[in-house]
Amino acid sequence: MDAILHGLLTVFIPTNFLFLFLGVFMGIVFGSLPGLTATMGLALLVPFTFTMSPAAGLIMLAGIYVGAMYGDAIPAVLINTPGTPAAIATTFDGFPLTQKGMAQHGLVAAAFASSCGSLVANGVLITAAPPLAAFSLKFGPPEYFWLGVFGLTIIASLSSGSMVKGFLAGTVGLILSAVGMAPIGGDVRLTFGFPELQAGIELIVALIGFFCLPEILSSVIGKRRAAYSDKPVTPKLAVIGEVIVSLIKKPVLMLRSSAIGTIIGFAPGAGGNIASMVSYNEAVRWDPNPEEYGKGTIKGVAASEAANSAMAPGSLIPLLTLGIPGSPPAAVILGALMLHGMRPGVELFTSYAEVTYAFIMALLVAAFLVTFIGSFGSYVFAQIINIPSRFLAPGIIFMTVLGSFAIRNNILDVWIMFVFGIVGFISNKLKFHPAPIVLGLILGPFVEEGLVKSMLAGQASGSIISYMVLRPISMVLIAMSLLSVFWPFYADWKAKRKKSQ
Amino acid sequence: MKDNLAEKRTKVRLNGDLITSISTAVLALIVFSVTRDLSRLGVVFVNYVLVMMAVLSLVVFIKAFIKPERVIFFESVIERNNVLAGTSILLLYLIFLPFAGFLPSSYIFYFAFNTYLADEHRFSKRNLFQSMLISIIVVTAFYFIFGNLLGVPLPEGSWFDGE
Repeated sequence: MDAILHGLLTVFIPTNFLFLFLGVFMGIVFGSLPGLTATMGLALLVPFTFTMSPAAGLIMLAGIYVGAMYGDAIPAVLINTPGTPAAIATTFDGFPLTQKGMAQHGLVAAAFASSCGSLVANGVLITAAPPLAAFSLKFGPPEYFWLGVFGLTIIASLSSGSMVKGFLAGTVGLILSAVGMAPIGGDVRLTFGFPELQAGIELIVALIGFFCLPEILSSVIGKRRAAYSDKPVTPKLAVIGEVIVSLIKKPVLMLRSSAIGTIIGFAPGAGGNIASMVSYNEAVRWDPNPEEYGKGTIKGVAASEAANSAMAPGSLIPLLTLGIPGSPPAAVILGALMLHGMRPGVELFTSYAEVTYAFIMALLVAAFLVTFIGSFGSYVFAQIINIPSRFLAPGIIFMTVLGSFAIRNNILDVWIMFVFGIVGFISNKLKFHPAPIVLGLILGPFVEEGLVKSMLAGQASGSIISYMVLRPISMVLIAMSLLSVFWPFYADWKAKRKKSQ
Repeated sequence: MKDNLAEKRTKVRLNGDLITSISTAVLALIVFSVTRDLSRLGVVFVNYVLVMMAVLSLVVFIKAFIKPERVIFFESVIERNNVLAGTSILLLYLIFLPFAGFLPSSYIFYFAFNTYLADEHRFSKRNLFQSMLISIIVVTAFYFIFGNLLGVPLPEGSWFDGE
């Protein structure tokens, strides 16, 4: 307890607090620019923190990490382009809110939910890190496979029009995820002679292509809308309180989303994109008014953002206790710890307790800063959407090109973004929505790696089926997947029955 | 008369399910044909996905004849032309980017796009000046933020390599 309090006091030393504030601000900037990620922000700043004291350096890194987890929601809400793949589910309701002239509602909801998610996950990190880290090691290939399958079942919720077409789009995404080198075996597949494609299709490139470009082509260029949104946004201070109070009144949604983010965060490699989508799916399933989702509700934004922000501290649980980074940014933080001579494990909580708890407390305080900067910043951010589309659209297209190029310094990525943009535009018109394609692209590598590894291990153990199915976590995930697929049918039947009565 | 015909042609309601199912079936066929020489470990996932894709394509194909989803691509000829023109400007930008480099091609793209999206007086002196000014400010700002401040490499033009 003393170490925790000492850590908190270390964060509030003026210079450290300034570094934290700067870190959160820079994180928001990094997260909000498509093409720049939390990992890039952390990696760029690690060398600078080396000259600082370990506590100050790690506090600043904590700020960047937490800030970026919120920052990615800003373009997701305003221009239908997730700043990072973790904000994909934020676009589902965030952008419809903007189109209704409620961009500020979306931004405040994202900021507050991010903070809630971060707070819950930090609470878990402080109190229950070691046993949870040990539990995370129980995730083997079959569990990852079923986690991926469970993620794919979200398509059932996403494709309200035609579930078959939704799943068909999902298979297109799975095929796209197979482009490049096979995770097991090393076969080079579907590169069509482009060596750059051996590393696969970059997620953010696909996100920009499928979500951002079609919207610009359709409404701004095609329909010549004067502004990006149908209704101009008039930010009001009252909106901040209104949204926060409204979300406080939904403790189950906030807690469930944060818990999902934390749990998926400590499963190494699962990442914020899966966390946000699983959480969104559960929010839709358990809400008494599921029809509100996808049309612009702060509940959808909150579900996604609470989960992806909870994932950040969640991914630090296996990192700090076992030295296993749960996400790419966590891997960079591991590098920073090593630079300061700190090795993950028990030593971190004994010999380096002061610095470690200062870092954990910085994550906690950064969560509050996100609410503050995000909520009041929404006043400014939301007005971006009022800029006439004549000036805004070229800027957005320009950023999509830059963002696609910046990821791997590769012009082919820009072309892929362009092609996906055209495909997204056409598929939108065909009512073949691209969200399940992106979902397949994100989850494909998990499913494939889990499947192939399970097959190999299952063969060795005598039975592939029993190895994949008869494991406790696998069985829970299978049950959840089945529930997820059949729930929309049940909800539909229930609604019809209610109507007929 | 000609305009009316074009308008009618633009507003034809297409069978969305038929287009979707045929497109995905063709994609499945292409993927199938180029993945046959892979090892068992490399192809197993692709095979499972292809089976699902083929089955779902077939279901959508059948639906296309029983209960098709009709879609309109463009509401008007003007909308279609706008999309084509906007796409062409972007296409030209992407073609010239690796040759002319980031700054020259971006100045031209930004200026062209901004001018194109302006109202009917797009070629007035005021509009042209406004477009030029904003393209210089935005592109230069991005160049310094990404290229200099954040150290993100930007596309370099082969025309200006000097070799």
